[in-house]
Amino acid sequence: MEKISAEVIGKFESEGDANKLVYAPLNAPVKYRRTRVYMLEYEGKLEFAKNFVQRCLVDDYADEVFYTSEPAVQDFSFYIDYGMKPGALDLEKEAILSSHKSTEGFDIVSLKLVQRIYIFSDPSITSERFVRDVCNPAIHVWSVTDSNGQKVA
Amino acid sequence: MEKRPHALLLKFPGTNCDAETSRALEEAGFSSEILPIACVDEGSLESAQLIVLSGGFSYGDYVMAGRLAQLELERRIGDALTRFRDGGGYLLGICNGFQILTKLGLLPEGSLINNTSGRFICRWVKLERRVDDNPFLRGLPENFELPIAHAEGRFVAPEGAAEKYMDEGLAALVYEEDVNGSTSRIAGLTDNSGRVLGLMPHPERFLWDSHHYDRDWVGDGDGRGSGYQMFKSIYNTIAGEIAHEPG
Repeated sequence: MEKISAEVIGKFESEGDANKLVYAPLNAPVKYRRTRVYMLEYEGKLEFAKNFVQRCLVDDYADEVFYTSEPAVQDFSFYIDYGMKPGALDLEKEAILSSHKSTEGFDIVSLKLVQRIYIFSDPSITSERFVRDVCNPAIHVWSVTDSNGQKVA
Repeated sequence: MEKRPHALLLKFPGTNCDAETSRALEEAGFSSEILPIACVDEGSLESAQLIVLSGGFSYGDYVMAGRLAQLELERRIGDALTRFRDGGGYLLGICNGFQILTKLGLLPEGSLINNTSGRFICRWVKLERRVDDNPFLRGLPENFELPIAHAEGRFVAPEGAAEKYMDEGLAALVYEEDVNGSTSRIAGLTDNSGRVLGLMPHPERFLWDSHHYDRDWVGDGDGRGSGYQMFKSIYNTIAGEIAHEPG
């Protein structure tokens, strides 16, 4: 079984005001950037798996895709990865899986969808508020990774 | 008995403007049918002269707006929509429908992405019609207003393409001011045949004077709004073609 991680970034999008993510003003100049990460376990050729990612998950004109497990964005303070809890009804995943054709030359063993939010700020800004306002503990699991690559939550 | 032009509205999970669009089409003279995607096959298209992809959030806008609807349409009917157009049919995509038509490759190359503000925009906009003889737009004045409601309405295209669309008359509608960051302020596109139109504004939400935000607004004095004129334009085009069909 092979694994591939694809991080998709909007080419035309740049860092935005992080106040959009939280319910109360941050009172500090904090920026954010949102990306999508797809982790695919599959059997077959890498080339076919990449074709599937490109065809289904990437916009030819507006997106860039990075096939790496390292963060595709640099100089962040921390990033939050969140996605649906295992076992929760994930309609997005179901819809993506249903668009996989048996003729594509590879089989999907599993697919994990992650929404990634990079935060750019000074060290006084911590992840708790963002996690509280972005993630829903009823349906989401999440992790926070600092700029050194250490998982801190 | 006179044959009415027939419009088929394809409905995906999350499409939510189909009923009001159907009402607008009927108001203009069409017979209409809303068909869930689960019931669509190639034969479904045969009775229609106009296929409409109406607004909403198909598949919750998962992955990106319009992508999963595009994949589902391709899986179910392949390139039947292209053949429908090539066979003389008309296609209209409103808002999410525009996003889907773009993804299907039925409109000039490009994509609709998040507004530059990063926020959902719901307001009225002033539009400029930049084509003279488009079947969907020929009944409209050069400048008119329609409401918009979208988060992913910023049109982007390969370098230089948007300017080319402006020059070649494919950019059928532009915003009079920059509302969402669209390249060349493009609000609507048509293809080379003129038989396909996609637009971000919602014509089905401006059928009557009373829909306008200004209660004193008066158009041509017939009580109708610009959205109605758009549906009436395509109705007149198709009804004219039916009238000239042999037999």
